[in-house]
Amino acid sequence: MSVASRSAAPPRLPPGLAGLLLPVGAVLAAFAVGAVAIMALGVPLGEALTAFWRGAFGNAYAISASINRAVALALVGTGFVFAARAGLTNVGGEGQIAVGGVAATAICLAPGIADLPLGLAFLVPLLGATLAGGVWGALAGFLKVRVGTNEVISTLLLSFIAVWLLYWSVQSEALLRQPMTSSATLPESLPIPVTTQVPLLTGSYSSPVTLGLPLLVVIAAVTALVLSRSIFGFQLKAVGLNPVAAARAGIAVGASIVTALFLAGAMGGLAGGLMLQGEQYSLKAGFSSGYGFDGLVVGLLARNSIAGVIAGALLFGFLRSGGISMEMGASVPSALIDVLQGLIVVTIAGAAYYVDRGDRK
Amino acid sequence: MTLELVAIFLASSFRLAIPLLFAATGELVSERAGVVNMSIEGMMLAGAFGGAIGAAMTGSPLLGLACAVLAVLPVALLQSVLTNTLRANQIVTGIGINILVLGLTTLGYREFFGARSRTTIPGFDAWPVPVLSDLPLVGPLFQQIGMAWLAIAIILAVGAVLTMTGLGITLRAVGENPQAVAKAGRSVLALRHGAVLFAGIMSALGGAFLSIGDIHTFTEGMTNGAGYLAITAVIFGSWKLGRTVMACLLFGAATALQFQLPALGLGIPNALLIMLPYLLAFLAVAGLVGRQTAPRALAQPYWP
Repeated sequence: MSVASRSAAPPRLPPGLAGLLLPVGAVLAAFAVGAVAIMALGVPLGEALTAFWRGAFGNAYAISASINRAVALALVGTGFVFAARAGLTNVGGEGQIAVGGVAATAICLAPGIADLPLGLAFLVPLLGATLAGGVWGALAGFLKVRVGTNEVISTLLLSFIAVWLLYWSVQSEALLRQPMTSSATLPESLPIPVTTQVPLLTGSYSSPVTLGLPLLVVIAAVTALVLSRSIFGFQLKAVGLNPVAAARAGIAVGASIVTALFLAGAMGGLAGGLMLQGEQYSLKAGFSSGYGFDGLVVGLLARNSIAGVIAGALLFGFLRSGGISMEMGASVPSALIDVLQGLIVVTIAGAAYYVDRGDRK
Repeated sequence: MTLELVAIFLASSFRLAIPLLFAATGELVSERAGVVNMSIEGMMLAGAFGGAIGAAMTGSPLLGLACAVLAVLPVALLQSVLTNTLRANQIVTGIGINILVLGLTTLGYREFFGARSRTTIPGFDAWPVPVLSDLPLVGPLFQQIGMAWLAIAIILAVGAVLTMTGLGITLRAVGENPQAVAKAGRSVLALRHGAVLFAGIMSALGGAFLSIGDIHTFTEGMTNGAGYLAITAVIFGSWKLGRTVMACLLFGAATALQFQLPALGLGIPNALLIMLPYLLAFLAVAGLVGRQTAPRALAQPYWP
């Protein structure tokens, strides 16, 4: 990678500003495409936007659902950024959410858990979900250190394995499937006991924002501090920039890699636990569907900034909710949201070259 | 297991492996040149959609196949320009393209066929091989549509090109040491663009097999992970053509077994069989099954 040949690059925007303008520009451009598409589908734009607004912000329930979705995406995205600091790409969010959900369900339904005092009834399963996701992520880290397996490949494969483990666990009565009383018994787990549900901030099911929101705020703040101010954060960065030099400087490269992927996975697992215990209350096969990849995309959009993760997660959380409402209220297929999201990802990934060019010194 | 069941099992294993054989062979060529296409899934979907539209509009499955290839070109081009010219992260662009194609084909399908209709579209008929298709046990294996034999012909041709021609050697070198290839006066970018385009066309054929070859209809997101399975086959096949083909056949057999389990009365959980390909590939990359030799410059953008 020679630097001299590109030293005569044209003048650029300051990297910070470009880093901000790029995602904002990509999102606006995608919205413009979306508006054109809606009109091309023959749906009055106003009608579609009204339906979108109702789904995303229309009432307390809609806003709460969007926020809960955003919390899950932000957790996966924060994990992605954590791993990215050590030069690792965690594409296993989907599976980490799945194992988190499975672990949370298993613990919630275990005898005695629902009777634990002091909120332990919901905290213990949540912790179990976090650990399960962490182990799932750390497995990829361990393989990278021991065998040299590319973490992109291993986290992706682990993701599929986890999704099918989830499917298996709700298909088999020996695992988590509810007892079959008739042929119409759905392949899902029993609902979890009320005491194991993550408490709602307002205490009312009509505005079901869970304790996950303050938890996310704390985790995001701590992560931002650890990455920017702590020795561990510095070590991760050193490992990411040049593992050989980091090792020579006395940094435990292997341990850093395993820890980074453990933490990334743990955040995915926590997201899974929150989704199950805070929103869905019983485990179904499509439980993690799309959240992992959306979270990954949020992590990418953020370009390594935790604030960016939050912004991206909110954007996608509200986009999805609004999209679903648009499909029901204005018969605009929610696939349009997929198109917008795909455009945003592709634009930002492609334009990263122009923004990062100046950083490659 | 009766002989009849064995015969059906063999034939359906092969049939289910065909889309994987197309896509995995394309992805193998691309990965040997150093480019991972997570977008195989999206490219297959684009091919399935293009094939369905083309066949439905013209009434000819052959023209449908041509439309499948046409439909994949912009997708493959996007992937290639993003990863090779703009040096974007290959994994992220691939996933973005998959989301984009899923959205576009679903929108297009609703516009074209109307929501939730399952119209049958003209597709290929079987091309039984004379004599062989009348054999007991293996006979059904030889009652496939022409695309099956096309897949085998392409695989043999790819094998020959990769091992016996200068182009094949250069292509593999691009995945190991692109700088050396550039020094030898060949264009790294041209080779990689070509490899991604090839992967795209092969994926389109695999996708078209699903829509106009196999079930004669298009459904939203109908590839349903087949693209990722093809990538998994390349990994499990240790980036070697012969082993990748075996992996595809094995994965096809695992899928076929799922449908036959009830008939056989075996107590294997369905989920275990669906998971099996990913589990095997994971064990392989974990170093527990054989040795893995990924191309050294895999997924790394080339900076001159």
